[in-house]
Amino acid sequence: MEPILNVHGLQKTYGGRGTCTKALQGLDFRVFPGEFVGVMGPSGSGKTTLLNCISTIDHPTAGSILVDGSELTALKGKALSQFRREKLGFIFQDCNLLDTLTGLENIALALTIGGAEPRSVERRAREAARLLGVEEVLDKFPYQMSGGQQQRVAAARAMVTGPALILADEPTGALDSKSTGMLLGQLDKLNREEGATILLVTHDAFTASWCRRILFLRDGELYRELHRRSMDRKAFFREILSVVSELGGDSGDVL
Amino acid sequence: MSCKLAFRNVGRSIRDYAVYFLTLTFGVCLFYTFNSLGDQSVMKFLAQNDNPNVEGIFLLMGVFSAFVAVVLAGLILYANQFLMKRRKRELGTYFLLGMDSGRVSRLLVLETLLIGLAALISGVALGALASWALDKLTVSMFLATPGEIFSFTLSRPAVGKTTLYFGIIFLLVMAFTGVNVSRSRLIGLIRSNRTNEEVAQRPLALAVALFLLGCVSLGTAYAILLVRGLLRIDLLWFLMLGLGTLGTFLIFRSLSGFLLRLTKGHPGYYKGLNMFVLRQWSGKVHTNCASNTVISILLLLAIGVTACSVGLNDTITSAVGGQSPYDLTVLNYGRNGDYEQADVSALFLAAGVDPQAVFSKVESVTVYYNNETATGFPEAGFYAAISLTAYNSIMEGRSLPSLSPEDIPCPTPDPIVNGPAADGVVVVSDELASRLVPRRQVVNINYRGDAATVDALVRQTLEGAQDFTGGLDIMINYKLDNYYDLMGAKILVLYMGLYLGLVFLLTAAAVLALQQLSQAADNARRYKLLSRLGASETMRRKALIRQVALAFLLPLALGVIHAFVGMKAANEVIQVMGRVDSVHSSLLTAGLLLLIYGGYFLATCFGAWRTVRTGED
Ligand SMILES: Nc1ncnc2c1ncn2[C@@H]1O[C@H](COP(=O)(O)OP(=O)(O)O)[C@@H](O)[C@H]1O
Ligand SMILES: [Mg+2]
Repeated sequence: MEPILNVHGLQKTYGGRGTCTKALQGLDFRVFPGEFVGVMGPSGSGKTTLLNCISTIDHPTAGSILVDGSELTALKGKALSQFRREKLGFIFQDCNLLDTLTGLENIALALTIGGAEPRSVERRAREAARLLGVEEVLDKFPYQMSGGQQQRVAAARAMVTGPALILADEPTGALDSKSTGMLLGQLDKLNREEGATILLVTHDAFTASWCRRILFLRDGELYRELHRRSMDRKAFFREILSVVSELGGDSGDVL
Repeated sequence: MSCKLAFRNVGRSIRDYAVYFLTLTFGVCLFYTFNSLGDQSVMKFLAQNDNPNVEGIFLLMGVFSAFVAVVLAGLILYANQFLMKRRKRELGTYFLLGMDSGRVSRLLVLETLLIGLAALISGVALGALASWALDKLTVSMFLATPGEIFSFTLSRPAVGKTTLYFGIIFLLVMAFTGVNVSRSRLIGLIRSNRTNEEVAQRPLALAVALFLLGCVSLGTAYAILLVRGLLRIDLLWFLMLGLGTLGTFLIFRSLSGFLLRLTKGHPGYYKGLNMFVLRQWSGKVHTNCASNTVISILLLLAIGVTACSVGLNDTITSAVGGQSPYDLTVLNYGRNGDYEQADVSALFLAAGVDPQAVFSKVESVTVYYNNETATGFPEAGFYAAISLTAYNSIMEGRSLPSLSPEDIPCPTPDPIVNGPAADGVVVVSDELASRLVPRRQVVNINYRGDAATVDALVRQTLEGAQDFTGGLDIMINYKLDNYYDLMGAKILVLYMGLYLGLVFLLTAAAVLALQQLSQAADNARRYKLLSRLGASETMRRKALIRQVALAFLLPLALGVIHAFVGMKAANEVIQVMGRVDSVHSSLLTAGLLLLIYGGYFLATCFGAWRTVRTGED
């Protein structure tokens, strides 16, 4: 099977000659269609940098990233925009939704930007909202929703266009445990029932335990890889915790 | 260090807050241009000729300038307030870095001073250019004016007055800034970068009801205005103003909810960024409905005043120009109120002017007392009668159509003399005229050769002559006097109209632009998200332009409709003289509108786009 995401020799260096930070130093990994992959690591290990490179917000210093067969580092301008709206879906930590649009319209926005048939937009947006269980907030504005509802609306927007890859950077960072459970449950469902490919960045072990596979980063390098296989979530969670304590970093981040 | 920081900040401000700087510069430029009229060649020329309008022009200019200064002061304070809001975070950082509020205040005051100085210098420079152009325009409008007196100068009194007035305005701004900073709390400054737009859902029925109410009250105001005319100032007139304002306000208030529902059912709503633009606009139009109302009214004033002054200017030409068919008219009122015919040519010869040499035509006519019972025309409106033969010979001399016996008695279609007495004469049959009592003798004279030279010669001679009239009551009406009167009146109307119109236009455009730019920070966040969702740069730029265009066009649309109705009413007032909405005035008004309003629109688009782009990945 062809990988959806193929990262090869990825390097990212910030700053000039004197004070440069090597945020990523040669990463190699692949994500296949239908996978639900988590990226973990202590603060400063390069998680956000990795995600920014994949989501074309940032340019890698060296290496290649292929998404669905197209090389990202070569993309510019129009092609870049087209790639973003056709191949990717985003869920950010916050500032996800447009404050001037309703829930329905926020979901619909991803479709209208992609030039979808106007008559089909509302139906498709409602369908996505149903999948993520946010039908009741469709006519509300973001400030009238809870944080969890906002993130699920963002998730609905991320998947409504049927992207090759959904990217989520600490989507649960600002949520309480109940909302976190709900969002992850829906993402899990999306992954299992709709076959969506998801790459999720987190420093929270509970969040990570919903994934099928976890990549651990340390100092910009791949430290370890963990597969859930047939484990249940509790067992997987414990295994994650053990890797995290191996990794070091402050435990406050983890629990 | 403060000084260096201030200089750097000013440099950045001029780039980032171009609209603020533009407004200051335009304000100074306008103020200088209209206060430098005293040094303009046409005005100097008129003053030399003892034109009675000159004093009026300067008096009115002084009054208007005071008013304009107040308007500009308000505008600049408003603009400064907006600037402070945008810089709150930056100021918060200064506090965090350990500057005390005194130093931050000093920094800001220094900045205001520098920006003020820069605006003053560039404004006066631009003003000198504008006043030169205005002078050229005025000169070209009055063909008979000698062209060589015209030069490019910097008016010292105007520079002084501009510096004084704007100095006071900038002092005010500095005072406000200082007070503002010393009262602000750090936490408020740091937290001020996020605003959450409250977009309440309003029931459609309410929006429709408000919209209809707005239309009805606006319609009523229009009806009152059109039926009763512009100038009957009483209780109903104020009611008309109130209803007009209320109507405008209600339409702005309800339009967003109303339009949004209308467009939502349309498939185009879900096309590209349409939905986003509409939402952006509707949220703002609702919260800004009060200021939009003010902007609409300012635009009405700007359009109305400019168009009326230009239109009136054309009207004055047609009304007054027809009253000077001769180079000179001598009106002989007789001796002690009794009619007495005189040989005017002989009088001139006696005084030292040879009529044969300098006059091409001397034509004497007698007009009679208008006896209502005989002519059928009231004496109140028609002070004199003239015989058909005399009238026709006058007309023949000017190659104008003559009257036939069937047409009379009737008022003279064309003036028979120079001056205000031109109207109010009835043409009657020769037989009837012979039965009327003679009233006065009028002698129409045309010059031979160069009119200006002969005119000067005649005036000089008559001034020097002792008892030119030989005891008769004689009045002389010179064409050139009428011409200069006309010119003075035209300049008065045109300049005042342009001055006020431009200030109103500037204010309206600047307030709109500032409002748009004050949302730039919020917009930057939204457009960044759009970019991440894959909206291409072209798509985003178009959306931003449409958003700004909507904000600019709506108040303009209402303002233009208001102005249209208002000018219809104004037409009624001066219908006797002509129309104010001539093609000429409409074109000039549209041109100025396009220039200033369009200029601000472009500046706003560029400014907004700059902010949006810098916030992008
Ligand atoms: N814009 C930047 N400029 C300079 N250094 C950066 C920048 N962004 C991140 N870094 C550095 O790169 C490293 C990785 O950061 P990041 O990817 O944000 O880590 P994480 O998201 O895992 O906490 C850190 O050492 C950080 O200081
Ligand atoms: Mg991070």
